Amino acid sequence: MTRDVLILCAAGMLVSAYLMVGQKALFTAIRLYAVQSLLLGTVAITMAIADRRDELFVMAALTITLKSALIPWFLMRVIDRIGIHREIEPFLNVPASLLVCLGLTAVGYRVSTGFPEGTQGVTHHLVGVALSMLLIGLFLMVTRKKAVTQILALLTVENAVFLVALGITSGMPLVVELGISFDVILAVLMLGILVHRIVDRFESMDVSRLSKLKG
Amino acid sequence: MNLLVWTLAAPLMTAVAGSLGGPRRWNEATLIGGLSLTFALCLGTAGQFLGGAIPTAFGNTLRVDGLSALVLVLCGFVGWVSGLYGVGYLRRNDAGGFLTPRMLREFYGLVPAYVFAMLLVSVSNNLGILWIAVELTTLASVFLVAFHNRDTSLEAAWKFLVLGSLGLGFALLGTVLLFASAQGRLGEGMSALEWTRFMRVAPSLHPFTLRLGVVFALIGYGTKAGLAPMHTWKPDAYREAPSATGVLMAVGMLNGALYCLLRIHLISKAAIGADFSAGLLLTLGLLSVLVAMPFLLIQWNLKRLLAYSSIEHVGIMAVGIGLGGEAGAFGALLHMTYHSLAKPLAFFSAGTLAQLHRSSDFDKIGSGTLGRTPVASGLFLLAAVIMTGSPPFGMFFSEITILRAGFTGPHTIATSVFLGALVVLFCGFWYQAGRMTLGPDPGRNANTPEPEVVDLGMAVALLTALIAVVSAFYLPAPLTALIRAATKVVGGGA
Repeated sequence: MTRDVLILCAAGMLVSAYLMVGQKALFTAIRLYAVQSLLLGTVAITMAIADRRDELFVMAALTITLKSALIPWFLMRVIDRIGIHREIEPFLNVPASLLVCLGLTAVGYRVSTGFPEGTQGVTHHLVGVALSMLLIGLFLMVTRKKAVTQILALLTVENAVFLVALGITSGMPLVVELGISFDVILAVLMLGILVHRIVDRFESMDVSRLSKLKG
Repeated sequence: MNLLVWTLAAPLMTAVAGSLGGPRRWNEATLIGGLSLTFALCLGTAGQFLGGAIPTAFGNTLRVDGLSALVLVLCGFVGWVSGLYGVGYLRRNDAGGFLTPRMLREFYGLVPAYVFAMLLVSVSNNLGILWIAVELTTLASVFLVAFHNRDTSLEAAWKFLVLGSLGLGFALLGTVLLFASAQGRLGEGMSALEWTRFMRVAPSLHPFTLRLGVVFALIGYGTKAGLAPMHTWKPDAYREAPSATGVLMAVGMLNGALYCLLRIHLISKAAIGADFSAGLLLTLGLLSVLVAMPFLLIQWNLKRLLAYSSIEHVGIMAVGIGLGGEAGAFGALLHMTYHSLAKPLAFFSAGTLAQLHRSSDFDKIGSGTLGRTPVASGLFLLAAVIMTGSPPFGMFFSEITILRAGFTGPHTIATSVFLGALVVLFCGFWYQAGRMTLGPDPGRNANTPEPEVVDLGMAVALLTALIAVVSAFYLPAPLTALIRAATKVVGGGA
């Protein structure tokens, strides 16, 4: 039962990452991120129940309130204020991007077999999904132009790191986890403020226009 | 509370006081007073260490060994001079009417906050806290990069924050993997991530997980250090940041990130031998030195020139560590010390030049500045002599030490390439510095700079010149003792 829930959640996270790659409406992309974080929280809760580790509940609560509610709300507000709702044509079109992501998933799964726990079912899937998401996040980062999409890519990478942490260590020490979450929130806030300032000055959040500095 | 806690509390309180705003005199006094006190406390903590104690706080979370003590003192020093120069910088800008109250609050709050984060990095014994502290240095510096709120400063700040966060994501994954490689041997709770504990269980770490973790952590912290190919944020950020904060990044962030790299390297060395992480560091370092080469030669902006020079220097340090052995480590740490002592001069003289000419682009500054702004140009020439590693200044000796370690070790080909690159970099820096300061005066078409006056900024630049020159001939005995202690941590017990 636990096993099935974990694998289902991990698969859901991977699917949400793929959907994000195929998505141009920014609102939907943010909702996908919220769903992804919710699934991450579910993974943490499931493990907390199965292994009787109370501090994982704290981490799950934190993930769900911050990442599937607060951060998406904040990002949506940013988009609303600046009135830009769609990603423009990415550097690589959607079908090609999805194909690349398929390759990245294969790489992620291949690497995950090297861990000592790698041959056991659940950990293998969690770590495989996490590493694939990490690569997909990086890929999103380099191929998308809108500032908000880049923030989402960063957050996807961050979710992937947390999934690795859950998969192979069953969670980092709580204090560290809290500190990390606090830093992530701060970083998102600052990114939001910067997006505001950028839109104010450039009347666009197309980061490919940020190209004056060279050499 | 013990001294170590006070050392961290002092800049934090200064930051709170600064961010509240208030009359200018009061802000200036708190910034300078707070950062001077911080530097004094850093010296005190290092003194405790030299006295034979190992200062710790909050259990073993903060711990000052030789390496920490050296980085702590250097960061404290840089925080202090940058606070002094920062006040002068703001006064100059205030006279021009460029500053809003928000900018002042940001500056007075974020500079000490940055110093706090930097010092926290240098005394962290816990890999989790270390990561959090490095992230704090990033967050504290974003709005310092965006300080002037121009198009280009927003671009620089955006690139800096996105690339920095991505790098830190990698570093976090690296930390998680290192933690996982212990397979539960580290125990539970906060103390499980302690570096000293890692060192104790090092031989039993799982090799595959460890290697993967080391790669991610080195790439992640290497991004913050500005090692190629993750260096691309550096030129932009240095150009846009005010000189006072530029030097905080060029020395503070560089030393802090190097500190993280060293801690990871040491764990890896204790677990699977030095070759793996040393090889990575050597590759990244060599790549940085090579990447800096063409960009120095074609550079069009004074502060970006300093950024590429800083990429060169972090490359030199990484090569020193990568070449390994006690000699390589000693060379690298000596280089770090001399670099930290001399870099403020380079930044403050370049910053003064740029402020006098109202631009840091070479074509706007024009050639032959020595005739128009003799003091600032003279200081910059002095900085060029020191930064390029010319004898008799310190970096010449540290570079020779590293080269000697290289040629006596197994990596002779890499060392030869390194030597060749150093020669080209020397010529490149001098080509640019010479063209700007000594070239023919363009005559009537010249950009007429504002007259040089001896204000606080200039006085601080002169002070840093004095420190940079004196330190070449005389390093105080406690400082050499610290370098030796740090070398023992890094290079000892091969």
